[in-house]
Amino acid sequence: MRKSNTVFTLAISRLRFHKSRTLLTGIAIMLTTMLLTAIGTVGIASFNMNRQAVLGSDYHAVFDSLTPDQADVLSKRINVEAMSTMEIFADIVNGKMNGALIYREPVRDDRLTDNDSVFGPLQMESGHYPEAEDEICSSPVFFRRIGAEPVIGGKVTLSFRVNGKGEILTKEFTISGLLPDVEIAEGIDDSRVMYSAHVSKALLNQYNQNGMYKPILNAHLRVYGEGELTYNEITDRIHTVGTDIGLSEENVILNKEYLHIMTDPDMDVIAVVAAISLIVILFSTLVIYSIYYVGVITDIQEIGKLKAIGASKRQIAKLFYCQGALVSAFAIPFGLLIGFLLPYFLFPVVVWKLSSSAINSNARDAAKDLLGQIHMFSLPFLLIVAIAVLITVWLSLLKPIRMAKKVSPVEAIRYQENTTHAKTRRGHRAVKVSTLTFANLTRNKRRTAVTILTMGLSCVLFICVSAVLSSVSAEDLARREIPEGDFRISLDYSLNDKEYPENNLENLVQQNYFNDDFLAQLSAIEGVEKIERAHGEISSSDNGSSALYIDLDGEPVCLTLSYFTREDLDELNENLVQGTIDYDRMTANREALCTHEYTFNECGLSLGDVFPLTLYDGGREIPLTVTLTALTEPDGNYPLLIVTEDIWKELGLTCDPTTDIYLHVKDSQYDSVKDALTDIVAENEHFQLYSMDVEMMIGRSSVGLTVYPCYLLLALIAVIGFINLINTMITSIVTRKKELGILQAIGLSDRQLVNMLAGEGLVFTTGTLLISLTLGNLAGYLLFRWAKDTHFMSVSRYHYPLWESIGLAVVLLGGQLLITRFMRKNVEKESLIDRIRNDG
Amino acid sequence: MKPNSDIILKTEDLCKFYGADDNLVKAVDHVDLQIRAGEFVSIVGKSGSGKSTLLHMLGALDNPTSGKVFLDGEDISTFKEDALSKIRRRKIGFIFQSYNLIPSLNVWENIVLPLGLDGKPADESFIKDIINTLGLTGKIKNLPNTLSGGQQQRCAIARAIAAKPSIILADEPTGNLDTQTGDEVMALLKASAKKYGQTLVVITHNEEIAQMADRTIMLADGRILSDGEPSRENSDAEEVAAHAKI
Repeated sequence: MRKSNTVFTLAISRLRFHKSRTLLTGIAIMLTTMLLTAIGTVGIASFNMNRQAVLGSDYHAVFDSLTPDQADVLSKRINVEAMSTMEIFADIVNGKMNGALIYREPVRDDRLTDNDSVFGPLQMESGHYPEAEDEICSSPVFFRRIGAEPVIGGKVTLSFRVNGKGEILTKEFTISGLLPDVEIAEGIDDSRVMYSAHVSKALLNQYNQNGMYKPILNAHLRVYGEGELTYNEITDRIHTVGTDIGLSEENVILNKEYLHIMTDPDMDVIAVVAAISLIVILFSTLVIYSIYYVGVITDIQEIGKLKAIGASKRQIAKLFYCQGALVSAFAIPFGLLIGFLLPYFLFPVVVWKLSSSAINSNARDAAKDLLGQIHMFSLPFLLIVAIAVLITVWLSLLKPIRMAKKVSPVEAIRYQENTTHAKTRRGHRAVKVSTLTFANLTRNKRRTAVTILTMGLSCVLFICVSAVLSSVSAEDLARREIPEGDFRISLDYSLNDKEYPENNLENLVQQNYFNDDFLAQLSAIEGVEKIERAHGEISSSDNGSSALYIDLDGEPVCLTLSYFTREDLDELNENLVQGTIDYDRMTANREALCTHEYTFNECGLSLGDVFPLTLYDGGREIPLTVTLTALTEPDGNYPLLIVTEDIWKELGLTCDPTTDIYLHVKDSQYDSVKDALTDIVAENEHFQLYSMDVEMMIGRSSVGLTVYPCYLLLALIAVIGFINLINTMITSIVTRKKELGILQAIGLSDRQLVNMLAGEGLVFTTGTLLISLTLGNLAGYLLFRWAKDTHFMSVSRYHYPLWESIGLAVVLLGGQLLITRFMRKNVEKESLIDRIRNDG
Repeated sequence: MKPNSDIILKTEDLCKFYGADDNLVKAVDHVDLQIRAGEFVSIVGKSGSGKSTLLHMLGALDNPTSGKVFLDGEDISTFKEDALSKIRRRKIGFIFQSYNLIPSLNVWENIVLPLGLDGKPADESFIKDIINTLGLTGKIKNLPNTLSGGQQQRCAIARAIAAKPSIILADEPTGNLDTQTGDEVMALLKASAKKYGQTLVVITHNEEIAQMADRTIMLADGRILSDGEPSRENSDAEEVAAHAKI
């Protein structure tokens, strides 16, 4: 008892005596705790937010393309817990506006005893859901868009095509109810917004009876077993229900996000958090280890004296453990507190910030609602962090303690930190400041390596995460719509419109809309720098002999066909999924490429499939038989099937197959060009304008939700990495106070001291940068590949984290210089004499 | 006393005080002294008498609270840090009790370090001469931790002499050495200083070493108690020098 008290007292007095070292260890332990807590808390918050977000849509699956009979059978299945149906009655015809008339019907919800509220109800702001055949309800934004006043009882005249085909009909409706209003962000083009209005069952019945409407239903449903079944079991059950009513698998669309969250904890988030935590623990161990290691080296004499007066090896070990525990006792609670509070305050700010860039107010409101419900606090998690940090400290102490145990009293008296047991050093004939710098770095190569490695690791983590985040690019998403330039004018064509065949591609191309005169008109707009035609597309069909060329009713349909050039080969090959791409072979053998994996699988295609195509060059028909030999998933905008440019040229097309043109404009005249293009496009109902600013806005709003919390994490890693750098520099200066003092005593000037320290820092920084830019980029690229393969954050193209890398280099170099200067000033507060006498 | 033109080190009313009021410690209290070029002066006194503090101020390592230190006629107490570091590497050689060699540099590098810091090439024949004189010839590539205490202190002496400073200040240079090694080192130091025409100021507790000096200053409570030639009765400095075979 007495012994342990002595050790404890000694530990406390040593901690007090070596204040700077105690502080450094404390900071390192606190930072480790803080980082782990912050990462976990962001994980918990994201998990919770995802959970809250999916709770809004609590259906298990959508059964698509049901007949009324199938829907009826479905509603009576014993495994179905709740169900609601939706029918798309008609497409609204109103200029370029996208809109549909729909009908929703809550069918069943066994979870409720109260029949007033059923599965999937609509939140009406006022009025009621349409009942009479001329009633309609929607959000006020819809009525405003079609030029009607959003008031209950108001009249609205709409043109529509039932089932999206057939003749255009016009009818007057009475507004029976209003849904909550939605605000559409300014500048969003009509083509990017989908409006819907609800009509009554009576209307659907009326058209059904006179044979004009063929009901096709979607059913949102829940099955029994949530909370009991695993993900696989519940999806099996859903598929069984689908198969029972004769629905094919591709028409069962699972609400995977919801099912995952309800059946499993979010494994993705857990895996990411666990991986990052492990790396943090690893480099924290190295940081804390290096502080203790240096501590032991500088304390050799003291340890030797303790041994000389009879301290046992166990007591020495106990002394160090005691010191570690005491520092942890202060540092861990602080770390937990800051690590929790940081995301607690920052996470909502970040989510709120990103949601303000959403295209419509619904998303903003949803984010606001979510924020109120996110729970971030988890006591078990905090305890786990505390234990993990204690283990980290224990691991860091193992080696230094082993070293301390070996210290002999005799050695202690004369001990000086040596160079890897070498007795001699070749040295230089003349000594310069740089000699001193390198002599110090090579004195203990392992310590230098460990320091570079610890700093490098945190930077590797930084670069690695940046590589993925910089690849999550709103611009990439925007570039899917506008692959080149600033604007895209697109021909809005149909392929299979039987009622209005003049809108079909083969007929539109005969109009030669994108002729040279039109292009000249565009070129004449001030600010337009360049105009490019996209690869042409023509209508093709194989008269229904392949699943690719039939619609849901089994009717033959047309698709478009285009071509690729030798320049496109890199991109196509990079994203190759199956088969091989060889331009010359493909030309010689009349081979085609499929560019969409999902459709490839859905339609049950396989390589080797032969398509006897008919191509429509306006009214002329060109036969072409192609064999499918490769499947690729490129980022660019390609039609489903493409052939080589040489095959395309051989077709000898007479009509201009251009369906898209891209415009490059001067930045300064972007707005005026846009105005001019909007006017030109408005003149032709078949033209659609895509502009980069709008696509970027849409891109940003879709990547924001996942990216911003990650940037928060990245910022934390950066802070920790930077503090690690400070830690390293401080350790290196504080522990050599005496040596630096001696150097000054024999004539080292201030400037030389700064140069020497800066030189050392430069080696650390260069080493760190080398590690982070090689290892970090490699790991970053691998992480990007993983993210791409798992469709994480919709990354598709690798972007080198250039700015992040430059930022890292600048911060490391600048930070290191600043710290050196600051530390020098700090060291000089103590007089030269005191420093020379300093034995600690 | 010789005329003032020979004075290489001089203090005027030199004070170094620590603390304030009741806790005021007068480490050096109004000291006036003059040291002539080429002189060997020992400073003696009990622990806490202010010897080291005085030496540090003479060597531009510490700033006085008040008073002046003249080195070669210049008042260095008003100098900025940069100028002081130049003085330390050009005009003063310092020898510490605990050697204070740079552990990462070998013996040769430690010796030529002050020259390197001054951006001057090492006068190799001169350095080799010192190394020979101090008996370190076979050790020039050794790292300090492989040397005995005596060898380390000899290395420290070589470092102090290497830049050909006009003054060598030694703070208990034999304090960590056994008597025989201590005597040897001291004899070497004295002989070297003489050989290279340097002024030597040594702090010591050792009566024998004090006897070797041309002049002994005794300090007590920060003040000079006595200043004059040491009594020669027990001096055996010549004998020790002969031992060291210079």
